[in-house]
Amino acid sequence: MNPLWSNIFRKKPEEESLAYFLGTIPLFSDLKNRDLHFLESIVHQRHYDAGEVIFTEGDPGTGLYLVRSGKVSIYNHDAYGKRCSLVQLVQGDFFGETTLAAPANRAASARTTEQCELIGLFRADMEEISKKYPMIANKILVGLARLLSERLHLAAQQLNKAQAQGPPDQDGEVRKDA
Amino acid sequence: MPERLLTRAQLLLLFLVLTAGLASGLALFTSASRIVELLQKASTGIFLPILLSLVAAFLLEPVVSLLERNGLGRSKSIFLVFFLAASTLYLGVQLMNPHWQEMWKSLQSDLPRYIGKGVQLLKDVQANIHDHLPFVSEYDLPGKGKAFANRLIADLFAATTGSALKIGGLVLMVPLFTFFFLRDGQKIIRFSVGLSPNRHYEMVHDLVHLISRQLSHFVRGRILEAIIVGLVVWAGLAQTDIRYAPLLGLFAGITNLVPYLGPLVGMVPGLVIALVDLGMGGQFWWIVVVYLLIAQVIVDNFILIPVLISHFSNLHPLWVVLAIVMGGKLYGVVGMIIGVPVASIIKISLIEIRQYRRTFALPGSSHDLE
Repeated sequence: MNPLWSNIFRKKPEEESLAYFLGTIPLFSDLKNRDLHFLESIVHQRHYDAGEVIFTEGDPGTGLYLVRSGKVSIYNHDAYGKRCSLVQLVQGDFFGETTLAAPANRAASARTTEQCELIGLFRADMEEISKKYPMIANKILVGLARLLSERLHLAAQQLNKAQAQGPPDQDGEVRKDA
Repeated sequence: MPERLLTRAQLLLLFLVLTAGLASGLALFTSASRIVELLQKASTGIFLPILLSLVAAFLLEPVVSLLERNGLGRSKSIFLVFFLAASTLYLGVQLMNPHWQEMWKSLQSDLPRYIGKGVQLLKDVQANIHDHLPFVSEYDLPGKGKAFANRLIADLFAATTGSALKIGGLVLMVPLFTFFFLRDGQKIIRFSVGLSPNRHYEMVHDLVHLISRQLSHFVRGRILEAIIVGLVVWAGLAQTDIRYAPLLGLFAGITNLVPYLGPLVGMVPGLVIALVDLGMGGQFWWIVVVYLLIAQVIVDNFILIPVLISHFSNLHPLWVVLAIVMGGKLYGVVGMIIGVPVASIIKISLIEIRQYRRTFALPGSSHDLE
């Protein structure tokens, strides 16, 4: 076939579509193909330059962001105001999911470290679809609940471990008293 | 040296540049004011249909959503709702049509009589005041009232018969706008919100959502309230021998959109007609009771307002008066009616933004606390 024509009639490969990308996210693993195409119309595609602040600690948080391309750095400030990086996120990661279900302030700041394409899913839209399409909203929220409870378990385990070890000197004294 | 400063050619160039600058500045200025003028001219007739179709979209939105939830497409649901609304309207008009025409004709002949009688009443009241308080200077209250009433009626007739074109335009434009507001409203909002910069995008998105939820609640509540009050007044008046009960109910419903002053204004024609036709008897007092006690106190204040209207959209009476005056200055009688709701809308937006700032200490406002 003439390359010109093949170029015109070339369909966008499935792998390039937003729906396909959303399907790769564990949060949306319950969603079927059709649901993913619907989700495409709900989420917000935003383009960021390198070094742009996405949100800072204490901002009102209203939803989660998925990293479709680029890198995002999550950081907070210690007691002396020094910036300490917590984690680097790459394609397929997401952040801010704790504020999707209930309003809360952002616990850390996020900024891009290179040119990024982020996908936002916000609480306002979730409320909207939970009224109109409860099935889809249900699948997303169950995915979110599963993810959050996994993390909670992990955090509880780590907390237990840390408590068992304890800070060596003070904890030792307490044990002597008891 | 001085002739080195500017040669003749340079001077000419300078002159030309300055002239060109001045001319283009003038041209810009005139064209700017011309453009503003054109825009004003182009948008004069558009305000009312857009407002009406926004209100209609707010009212129909829940029905469309309901159909959509049951698996119908958005456009199909809108068409279905439109069809239902149109057939209801058509049936209503068909049922009422002979009635209305008759009423309209007799009203045209009756109105001057009512006004004359009303003015007479005013005169009596003034004479009474003058007897008791002789130091009250002679003020031409009846004359003013008569002039005002005549002007109002002239406006009314001019608006209904004179500009059938305008109404035809409304009939054409309102359903069209309503359809697109219903179908693409979310998309339009989404697009406009999407234009905001990345840093504020999330907040703007959330705020717009909160405000639009409050707004739709408010608009739906107000309209429902007006309809129910109008129906109650109609039903109450229909118990008496008074004429034009449906018209009076309609009037009471529309004026009920304006808090505090609206119900008072809405009473006036009913009371005047009752006084003129029925006299100061038992029926007159029943009509007063219907207007004040049943429609306003019991139905509106005790039942409708607590259920339909959230308390924070309430305006201070001072703002109500200001909104009515300003609305009247801008858009006449229509402006008086929509001035207060528009002021409430502004208040709702401001309060939502403020609550937002308070619940989430926004960046910039919280740093000094730390």
